[in-house]
Amino acid sequence: MKEIDARGLACPAPVIQTKSALEEENPSSIRVIIDNAAAQQNVQRFLDSRGFRTALEQNAADYVVIGSCDSAPSVQIQPAASPLTDAKKIMIMCATDRIGYGDDVLGAKLMINFLRTLKEMGDELWRLVFVNNGVKLTIKGSEVIEDLKAYEAAGLTILVCGTCLDHFNLLEKKRVGETTNMLDIVTAMQLSDKVINL
Amino acid sequence: MAFPSDANVIIGLDRADDAGVYQISDDLALIQTVDFFTPIVDDPYWFGQIAAANALSDVYAMGGTPKTAMNLVAFPADQMDLTILRQIIQGGIDKLKEAEVVLIGGHSVKDKELKYGLSVTGFIHPSRVLAKKNLRTGDRLVLTKPLGTGIVNTAIKANMAPTKLIDKVTRLMAVLNRDAAGIMTGFDISACTDVTGFGLLGHLAEMVCGSGMSVQVDSGQVPVIAEALEFASTGLIPAGAHKNREFREEMIAFGESVPRALQDALFDPQTSGGLLISVDENQADALVSALKDKGVGDAAQIGKIIHDPEEKIYVA
Repeated sequence: MKEIDARGLACPAPVIQTKSALEEENPSSIRVIIDNAAAQQNVQRFLDSRGFRTALEQNAADYVVIGSCDSAPSVQIQPAASPLTDAKKIMIMCATDRIGYGDDVLGAKLMINFLRTLKEMGDELWRLVFVNNGVKLTIKGSEVIEDLKAYEAAGLTILVCGTCLDHFNLLEKKRVGETTNMLDIVTAMQLSDKVINL
Repeated sequence: MAFPSDANVIIGLDRADDAGVYQISDDLALIQTVDFFTPIVDDPYWFGQIAAANALSDVYAMGGTPKTAMNLVAFPADQMDLTILRQIIQGGIDKLKEAEVVLIGGHSVKDKELKYGLSVTGFIHPSRVLAKKNLRTGDRLVLTKPLGTGIVNTAIKANMAPTKLIDKVTRLMAVLNRDAAGIMTGFDISACTDVTGFGLLGHLAEMVCGSGMSVQVDSGQVPVIAEALEFASTGLIPAGAHKNREFREEMIAFGESVPRALQDALFDPQTSGGLLISVDENQADALVSALKDKGVGDAAQIGKIIHDPEEKIYVA
């Protein structure tokens, strides 16, 4: 039987230790010792959710959860509870409404295509920030407004520079994203793993 | 313990409400409150905003208008860069600006662990104070923000929350209760509190104790962050939620059909949670629609007050 001593650890550490043990060793029975009733319930809840039969014990100050299952369960990765250590946070800083120099008509088309293709980044796309001329992509009449709204509905945070909207007199015309300030942009840059500038 | 008091104290420590209220003239009373905590999100600017929204909330819950604030800072200056502190304080200031509250002072100490919060002072007419212990039979209960921030914060600590969910919850905690409070004052409200550390049922229990009434909660109507229920069912529950349950267990009767994970969410300690409002039964629908119209989109009717001297909370 796999044994885990998680005494002295605060929630959620006992659950994390139990989870790692299941993922690494796939045991058919497991015994977890903790030092409080809350952690005991949490570990029991976790083992229940992974298909174990559980029993509780208490010896003096020690709380114990014993879990067993008939066949070693294959660890199920659930979408909301999968480890995310490797997920990167990508921030895109868009300071223009067209890509590159030369032909402006081509540049505008490229930008539209770029924004529509961004979804291929999947969940790693974390922040889409519009500053300077870029804010014009977020206002009434922009060709990508529906695409941006779809990203936002899917949970992407879109930030639009308030100073820039104000400068172009477009505050009332913004149709997507949250109006933001420079400090929010700077802290987002600091927290992201990669910043892509356009 | 006996607390010093005088005739002008409308609400003091003996009543343990959201904030203290002190009358200074026939038509003016001061509301005073203080709150601070350790960081709950990684982003210092957003932590500052959340701490300010949380501190202001107690004034809104009393029906008042916050006017002035002071910073409380504990900072490990030898281990942490001062830019972090600057970002936290800027977050606080920006949230105060949004609330039209001025920052007029503060105090900082060196400490091993970073803490930030504010003391807030507000105004209210002495006859319009909304105490929490004033339930009225027949009233409906309205909650203005979804539950589950404590559970999601536990999942964040366990590195199991996707970044988009972290963003969503961060922004939710930073939302001021000002709009909800402003709308509520136009309705016939008997009592109000904000949902914080004791969880929905803990704060509801405070309202019920000594009221001579009981409450029926329709758990299916309670707004809850969907992912929080998933996390709770895998044991990602903050110790505080277990403590809240233990403390109030005897007052609460759960129907058999209420899932365990939903029960956990009902006890989940909230940071900068929503207002819990007791409103006249004939105005409840109108209050919820008014809240939704003005952007308080998660507002919902979650239960009713019944005449029952048992002082219990029945959750079905």
